[in-house]
Order: sequence, then structure tokens, then C-alpha cells
Amino acid sequence: MQITISSAAGLQVAKLEGRLDTATAPQAEASLLPALTAPGLVLDLTAVRYVSSAGLRLLLKLAKEAKGKGAKFSLAGLQPAVREVFEISGFDKIIPAFATVAEATAG
Amino acid sequence: MAAPLHLTLPPETASVTALLDALEAFTDEAELPIKPASRLMLLAEELAANVVMHATGATFFTADVALEGATLRFTLTDDGPEYDPLGRAEPDTDAALEDREAGGLGVHLVRQLAASAEYRREDGRNILGITLDAAAE
Repeated sequence: MQITISSAAGLQVAKLEGRLDTATAPQAEASLLPALTAPGLVLDLTAVRYVSSAGLRLLLKLAKEAKGKGAKFSLAGLQPAVREVFEISGFDKIIPAFATVAEATAG
Repeated sequence: MAAPLHLTLPPETASVTALLDALEAFTDEAELPIKPASRLMLLAEELAANVVMHATGATFFTADVALEGATLRFTLTDDGPEYDPLGRAEPDTDAALEDREAGGLGVHLVRQLAASAEYRREDGRNILGITLDAAAE
């Protein structure tokens, strides 16, 4: 799992590459929790082929953390297999997901 | 047609990565469409992670994958204490963010994405078998 953090439109943008799974979620959490500051963080998942429940648990933790800090938290670029998992788990109702990073930083 | 895959691995996190790498090679070899291939990897990971994270007494687990016509069959066996992950309660996928809990998601994905899922205890082993539609679009 490669994570590159930059900023766009005043928000932090973290680009993830690889699998967000049991093996990589702890490392991703260590990188992403410190990047989650107001006004907000966008996760660019364009290069993530799939997310397992370990990845979903991390997304849930980040969303709750964001709410506690009054920061925005959203996702961008979900691939079909990732979107399927996201929707089946009901996460589409609790975490905003956008087609592109540009839409996420605008929204 | 890809040859059936049989792996025996120690119950540690690195084994989950080894399993995923082997499954990726299998799905490439079998030329499976992206959807069944990613579902297979996902559900295999969920079931293997269950053993690695929770079956504290297991000394190994085995994974078997075979393509039988249009059906993908995946079986995970471990020698840990008796545990049926399919017996877990369903998470509330309609709950608001504050009320969403992190548990039970893996098994929820198995129930939703597998064509069938079955647990049995045999000869001191947990055997969990799932099938998937290999032609899912």
C-alpha cells in the first residue's frame, strides 16, 4: 500500500495505491489518522482495486474521527469492486463518495 | 482451465497476503472476469482473516479453490476451536454514522456475495465452504 498525501482546495488529499486489506489497513491507519485535520480529508481510491472489511473498518473509524474533529471526510474514485463492497455494507449512506477528487474537494 | 489450488499456511497475517497472491495467480490463469475474481479474493481474505485474528488455538489453515464449470468453490479449513462465523448477528447497515459498529462486516460480505456458504465441524476442524458464480458480470 502506497499513500501519497497532498492538498487541493484547502483539503488534505491522500492517494492510496494497492489493496486496502487485513495486511495493509494498520499501516494505512497510521498514515491517515494524522492527516485527518480540519477542514478535511479526501481519500483518492482510484488506484485501489479492492477494500476488504478491514479497510471498511478503517473508513468507519476515519469518518467517526472526522465528525469528532468537525472535519469533512469523503472518498473519490471508487472502482466497481470497491463500490460493490461499499454499497453492500451500507457505507454509501454514511460516507460521501464522489467520482473524482475535483468533485470531492468542491463538494 | 486452471488447476485446483491447495495451500496450507500458518495462522498469521502474512499468510493472508500469501493467500491473496496465490488467488490472484489462480484467477489470472483461469481468466475469470473481474467481478468473480475480486469477490473470490475478498471472501477468501475475510474467511482467512477470521481464522488468523480469532482462532487463537489454530496451528494451520488450508485453502482450496477449484473452478467447476461455472461455479467457483472455495473451502477454508482450520484446526482451531469450534467456531461458526456464519452464526454471527448481521450488522445494521442502515444505522447512522455514530451508531455504526465495526464488527460483523466480513461475514456480512460473505453472506451477501457468495452464492452459497456452509459451515461444518468435522474431525476437530472448522470447514467453511462457499461457492461463487464464476460468470458474474
